[in-house]
Amino acid sequence: MWYALLVLLYAPLAVVVVYSFNSVNSSADFVGVSLRWYRALFADDTILAAAWNSAVLALVSSMLATAIGTALGYGMYAHRARRLGWLIWLIYLPIIMPDIVYGIAQLSFFSRLAAATQIFDLGLGTMIIAHVSFQAPFVALLVYSRLVGLDPRLFDACSDLYANAWQRARFFILPTLQPAIVAGFFLALTLSIDDFVISYFTSGPESVTLPIFIWSAIKRGISPEINAIATLMIGTVLAAAAITLAFQYVRHRQSGE
Amino acid sequence: MTQPSSPTVSPDTADNTPRADTAIRLRGLYQAFGADAVALAGVDLDIPAGSFFTLLGPSGCGKTSLLRVIAGLDTPDAGTLHIGARDVTRVAAHKRNVNTVFQSYALFGHLDVAGNIGFGLRMHGHDRATINDRVQKTAAFIQIDNLLGRRIDQLSGGQRQRVALARALVNEPDVLLLDEPLSALDAGLRSRLQLELLRIQRRLGMTFVFVTHDQDEAMVMSDYVAVLNEGRIEQVGTPATLYERPANPFVARFMGHANLFAIRARDATGLTTDFGRLAGEFARADHVLIRPEIMTIHAADAPEVASAGDNVIHGRVRERLYRGSRMEYTVAAGETELVVVDDNRGQGMFEIGAGVALVMETTGVVTLDG
Repeated sequence: MWYALLVLLYAPLAVVVVYSFNSVNSSADFVGVSLRWYRALFADDTILAAAWNSAVLALVSSMLATAIGTALGYGMYAHRARRLGWLIWLIYLPIIMPDIVYGIAQLSFFSRLAAATQIFDLGLGTMIIAHVSFQAPFVALLVYSRLVGLDPRLFDACSDLYANAWQRARFFILPTLQPAIVAGFFLALTLSIDDFVISYFTSGPESVTLPIFIWSAIKRGISPEINAIATLMIGTVLAAAAITLAFQYVRHRQSGE
Repeated sequence: MTQPSSPTVSPDTADNTPRADTAIRLRGLYQAFGADAVALAGVDLDIPAGSFFTLLGPSGCGKTSLLRVIAGLDTPDAGTLHIGARDVTRVAAHKRNVNTVFQSYALFGHLDVAGNIGFGLRMHGHDRATINDRVQKTAAFIQIDNLLGRRIDQLSGGQRQRVALARALVNEPDVLLLDEPLSALDAGLRSRLQLELLRIQRRLGMTFVFVTHDQDEAMVMSDYVAVLNEGRIEQVGTPATLYERPANPFVARFMGHANLFAIRARDATGLTTDFGRLAGEFARADHVLIRPEIMTIHAADAPEVASAGDNVIHGRVRERLYRGSRMEYTVAAGETELVVVDDNRGQGMFEIGAGVALVMETTGVVTLDG
């Protein structure tokens, strides 16, 4: 039963990876191993531009989301005892909202904003804002769960040992949160690379990313080049996920104090 | 609240300059978390410099609140606090020369042992050489210099306790605060560390303020003990004073006295209580306290009983506890029960239901109000 499930999960991915190395343009016959489609990929300017857009979008949005999410997570912890503290949990709305609804909402919001201000034209800028808005809650959740797992006396110990607010953040809070922050960054990176729906609605003509390129290319049929792109994306996301897990592991070890 | 009888408390508020030998002076400290949760209900206390001073009381009595106010981690709603000659009531925790050993130790998991011990010095802006030197010396003094490179999660409970102590002592504070630092340890380690803490305090001559709910621990370790109840100080004094001359029934019961009886009537020749009559001259009071050690237990027909005179209580054994070095009996007498202990000299035990006589020295009987 479990094996059947694994096959169901991994067989389609395996097909993509295997056929990306096919030496002929066929999705039926596997003739020989070749890097021909990868070479074609790196010679195609449209694909390279889309890859560049994806990379810029993923890196910039993840860095912003990590900074904002860390601050949010700390804020949720610091204000958790307040009467209206629960309001901050509203930031989790993007997590449970269907992507399609969220994407449409972002599109209509940014269109109106663009019409009113003339500066929020749909493009990489609006995509970054949209991505940050759904990445930040995930980072905040990681940071928050690290903080609630700490002995609250640790904060007292900092003050007791002469640390002012700045020193407390620099020498205690940030180093203690580091594993959660790094894990949050790589999680944000994976989410951004993965995302198609929200990107699609908030992108402009000049900001095609890899998922959007694949979607438009696939209308003309699945080419081996698409398999090659997909394989590279699988590799990137797996690497980011592995790093996230590695830092989560460190986090668990440290909280065993 | 009974007016404390000890010289360590001088609530004469006219005198506003702390004496040179006073490490901490508290006046009228009040703190409440909402209307129903009064943590400190007006505390006046002088803690002598260089003493091992214990705050003792049941959980929720305000002892930890008091410690947090001294540390600066909480600000009182009213009252003043002097450390040495300085009024620190409104001074932030990180600007007070006071350090705390927390009940949970609160060691930093992202730093090794040396990093933990040196944390306060680092925040104070000392240079690396000074920090290393002082961390080394303190670690050697606490005998943990072999642990300096270890991570915190590699330490045992006793080792963590020592690291927490070193992390506080290395800063050479005016006052060291200890919040039930031994409560997480097993009994054997605990009594060893009690002696060690006491030795460290004596060698440094530093003022230690120690919080505990364990009256045995308080008695063994302290120069002075303040008993707290519901945010107030019930009594301050040496362990002997608290045990032998408790100011009120709360202190008496908290110090482990079971034989506390209301006085029903008093005349020139003695007292009447629930267990019967007690002959002798006693001061006017509400309660009489008979410590188990001042009584001896005998068979009802033993020759010592006949020659004992007036103060003999007859009764029957209701319960007995064998404790190895001694036996503990609960004896039913009159309308009540008394607890008495008998050293085990191989004389055997009284059976439950046996008729016994308790002979007592009236000089050891204490009367108290409240």
